[in-house]
Amino acid sequence: MAVPILVFSVDKTRGSLLLKIIENSGFKAKLFDNSLELEYAVRRRRPPIIVFDTKHYQSRQFKIISAFHSRFQDAELILFADPAEIPSFIAAGIKKECCFSDPINPDEVTLKIREIYFIKNRAFLKIKTYFLLLCSLFEGTRDNPYIVFTKKIIMAIAMALAVVVGIAGGFIFYNMSDLPKVQLLESYVPFESSFLYASDGVELAEFYLERRKFVPFYKIPKHVKNAFIAVEDAHFYEHHGIDFFRTIAAFINNIRAGGAVQGGSTITQQLAKMLFLTPEKSLSRKIKEAAISMQIEGRYKKDEILGFYLNQAYFGARAYGIEAASQTYFGKRTEELNVTDAAMLAALPKAPTDYSPFKNPQKAFARRNLALKSMLDRGFIDAEVYAASAKEPVPEYISRKKYAAPYFVEYIRNVMEQKFGDRLYTAGLRIYTTLDLTLQKKAERAVANGAAALARAGMPGVEAALIAIDLNTGAIRAMVGGTNFQKSQFNRATQAMRQTGSVFKPIVYLTAFKNGYSADSTVDDTEVTYSSKDGGQQWTPHNYSRRFYGRVTLRTALSHSLNAATVALANAIGMDKVIATARSIGVTSNIYPHLPAAIGVSEMTLIELTYAYTTFANGRRFDPMVYEKITDRYNIKVEDNAPKGVQAIDPANVAKMRDVLNAVVTEGTSIAAQSLNRPVYGKTGTTDEYKDAWFIGFDDRLAVGVWVGRDNNRPIGDDMSGSHAALPIWINFMKED
Amino acid sequence: MSDKNEDAKAAANQKGGNNPERPKEIENFGGPIGLDIGTTNIVSARARGANIQITKQLNAFFTVPASKITGMTLLKNDVLYFSQNGSFYIIGNAADTFANTFNTDTRRPVESGLLSAKEDEALNVIQSIIKTLVPPPKNQGELVCYSIPGDPIDTKISVLHHDTILKRTLQDMGYTAIAINEGFAVIMSELADESYTGIGISMGGGMCNVCFSYLSVPVFSYSIQKGGDYVDTMVGAAVGESATRIKLIKEKELNLLKEPKNKVETSLSIYYEDLLESLILSIQRVITTSESVPRLSKPISVVLSGGTAMPAGVREKFEKLLKANRLPLQFSSVRMAEDPLNTTAKGALQLAIAEEK
Ligand SMILES: Nc1ncnc2c1ncn2[C@@H]1O[C@H](COP(=O)(O)OP(=O)(O)OP(=O)(O)O)[C@@H](O)[C@H]1O
Ligand SMILES: [Mg+2]
Repeated sequence: MAVPILVFSVDKTRGSLLLKIIENSGFKAKLFDNSLELEYAVRRRRPPIIVFDTKHYQSRQFKIISAFHSRFQDAELILFADPAEIPSFIAAGIKKECCFSDPINPDEVTLKIREIYFIKNRAFLKIKTYFLLLCSLFEGTRDNPYIVFTKKIIMAIAMALAVVVGIAGGFIFYNMSDLPKVQLLESYVPFESSFLYASDGVELAEFYLERRKFVPFYKIPKHVKNAFIAVEDAHFYEHHGIDFFRTIAAFINNIRAGGAVQGGSTITQQLAKMLFLTPEKSLSRKIKEAAISMQIEGRYKKDEILGFYLNQAYFGARAYGIEAASQTYFGKRTEELNVTDAAMLAALPKAPTDYSPFKNPQKAFARRNLALKSMLDRGFIDAEVYAASAKEPVPEYISRKKYAAPYFVEYIRNVMEQKFGDRLYTAGLRIYTTLDLTLQKKAERAVANGAAALARAGMPGVEAALIAIDLNTGAIRAMVGGTNFQKSQFNRATQAMRQTGSVFKPIVYLTAFKNGYSADSTVDDTEVTYSSKDGGQQWTPHNYSRRFYGRVTLRTALSHSLNAATVALANAIGMDKVIATARSIGVTSNIYPHLPAAIGVSEMTLIELTYAYTTFANGRRFDPMVYEKITDRYNIKVEDNAPKGVQAIDPANVAKMRDVLNAVVTEGTSIAAQSLNRPVYGKTGTTDEYKDAWFIGFDDRLAVGVWVGRDNNRPIGDDMSGSHAALPIWINFMKED
Repeated sequence: MSDKNEDAKAAANQKGGNNPERPKEIENFGGPIGLDIGTTNIVSARARGANIQITKQLNAFFTVPASKITGMTLLKNDVLYFSQNGSFYIIGNAADTFANTFNTDTRRPVESGLLSAKEDEALNVIQSIIKTLVPPPKNQGELVCYSIPGDPIDTKISVLHHDTILKRTLQDMGYTAIAINEGFAVIMSELADESYTGIGISMGGGMCNVCFSYLSVPVFSYSIQKGGDYVDTMVGAAVGESATRIKLIKEKELNLLKEPKNKVETSLSIYYEDLLESLILSIQRVITTSESVPRLSKPISVVLSGGTAMPAGVREKFEKLLKANRLPLQFSSVRMAEDPLNTTAKGALQLAIAEEK
């Protein structure tokens, strides 16, 4: 009993750490950093458990470990090793579940030791349990007729046993100091899903591995607790962890009721079972559970115990814990459960699959009403409530809800995974995103309508994407990455690299303004042939209308999207300056370093171009912003994401940009946008053979980009320019409802 | 050697007096002692009933040419000094007064947290100051726990030399001497309620000491050689003032929560930010490379202590930077030690008490 757990590590810090972790959970332990001494100690005292850390231990390929293992079958070995080495240890006969790797996880270590410890110390536990049984005899339930009767008989025997008890009691006292503490329950932190919220607080998505969410006991409604007590453990508030007479009573009750209503073990025993041990049905196992139960009872209030149990129980359908179960079966939070719901849930843990309302509605219905009956019998509900509740149907399977903004959710999942790794799924983070659900719905409708219109016009299978960015903060307010997320998760707003066509042109004009031009400066729109520096390549830009317009103002050149004039302008100021401007407003994709880039031969993403337009609107450049803040499971702020705008265009040039981009709408290629009846600004883009159609623009609140095209890069259809294919979606989205 | 010691003792044994610089004579009740040997101050802590008694001396000295008259004046005014090579070494708090009168700076036996290599008499000075704070033990082998810095992470310097010399000094005085890492002392002093789990930081004059402890096991500890002195020197150089003057301004009125009003304040806030940034980067680096940091299921606390942590706003700035730099640990709070200038000594005392049992 008193033989300590032996810890071995040549690393002083790790050794002390393991030692402290073990001691902290109530076990005696001893540390070694020398394998000879360890070997000697093992031979002398046969420890129940050896914790062996192989870090920096190079001696003889760990021969010592397999030696221990074969020589002392009864000492359990817990091993810390490099993941790569673990298979070889397993091959040498060490149990897989006893091999751990870095980082040292205190909860894991304690859990394992506790488990082994209890399996190993049967004799001790038996004595302790007898003692506990006697305790419950003296202090047990008073109003149960079976008990009163049995008690009388047993009392007599008890008297005779008093002396023995005294001795046993002393012995137990002596051993108490050695007992593991049941602290694990407190430090037990179950996996918690992380949640994503829209800017108005509506839940957007849950990122989870196992569905667990912790509800503190005081937040669980009384009638929910009562339902479980009625079904699982009627004397919960009276007994001391184990209900000695419960087994007998349950047995008789079950015969009378003609079916198993009550099981044999108390809620505390079930908790002990769930937390500490692997499933197994044997008498000695029952005794162990009883012993742990008593310890739990000694340490925690009844309500806390019930809380631990409810958070830990399995309710079927991948739902661990009451909160996940409430969500899965009723779409409610635990606090919102009514009596009927509570009875349904209380009916589940015994046999979650058998009584699943999703799988066996009839059985579930009967079982739930049995639970309601128990509540009635215990006086937890009155006849009226019972009658009403018993008529309610059981919940039906609702297909897993789809995310409201699937492309956005996936986008942000990527961002967060890079930030948090796996913790995203277990740490219970709350991520408050910038998404505006109203705008998002509008965006989805606009894209769907646009695609449908194209399909009706004989162009099926066309994809479209839209992104809306808040001008003041750079926050993404809406994002649609395609027409059907179920079919294709490829996000055309953030991942698709497409030729930009004329939506790139404003960057050329901005460069011109920075170099002293104004909207009224003029440029020649004439046939010019440019040749590359070595003269090898020749290129003559033409306009969309196949004619030239002569001397035109910059305003006219941009609003009519004149290629020849734009190239002439870029040629005059120099492509290197144009590229520098592009970089200064956040364009990161490669830009072809020659004149054709002025009219948009380079490939870019919709998101980066729309951010560039955000900068046109008020001069400030933003990095993509998708969340406002992140808190952890304790609601402590982990991160505040304040908008970080950088002044990139001076106000005078912003005014010039607004002038020319507004001209596109008032006199140029996008007159249709005047139907919005308010000042808007933007630019169309169309690439060769109508492979891509763009419109990116802004009003006084949002910068919005729309792209239309095909994934296989084939033409959309005849005459499908930016103003015909993309602008209608943009207008549709920008329309005031 | 014996000559010097005699003088030091003579200095240390001066009694009574009304000189405010002079610490009140410590009545020797015995019991374990915690000792913080810092760049700026030497602080000792001792349990006295339920309270802790703190005494301290500036860890500095000042030399004046030896002469009979000077000697008499010093003696009359209860100034602690010893004579060596034709000079009087004025030590402890009094050194500051003298330096001010002569309008220069004091000299320091400890530099950047470690025994100064520049000062030949460093050891003598330290020993003399320690003797003013730590009376001879009542019983042979009484416990003194003294703080030593963690190994600096950016250099090859080791604290072994410093540590051994201090240990010998205390042993020669008749004590059993045990060392405690300065950062860990902060944890011992401030994190008892959190099972000695968390990060303790001591921001002193010569350096900042950091320790991460789990269930009272120091998982890692180290120091960076930047602290209050660094801030003083850099700001002084930047605005063309003496470091001493900057130090005065800094200690008197620095508030990092307010917008800086002048170039000294601006520069102070710049170098404070730089210091805090280095500190957090170092933590990040050490955590991510450590093999021993366990997986934590609960957020941990950070405690700041030391004179350099004292200006208003240091805590807030630190917390903000900590949140901005993602670390693989979760933090529940950043808080100030209860008594920042004496935290290390108190922590050392806690360990001495624990060891005694
Ligand atoms: N109120 C204050 N505001 C700002 N700085 C202060 C204040 N009080 C002291 N300091 C600074 O704190 C430093 C001294 O702190 P402390 O006494 O904790 O250091 P130390 O333990 O002697 O040094 P170290 O730990 O680096 O060896 C000096 O740089 C001093 O200027
Ligand atoms: Mg210090």
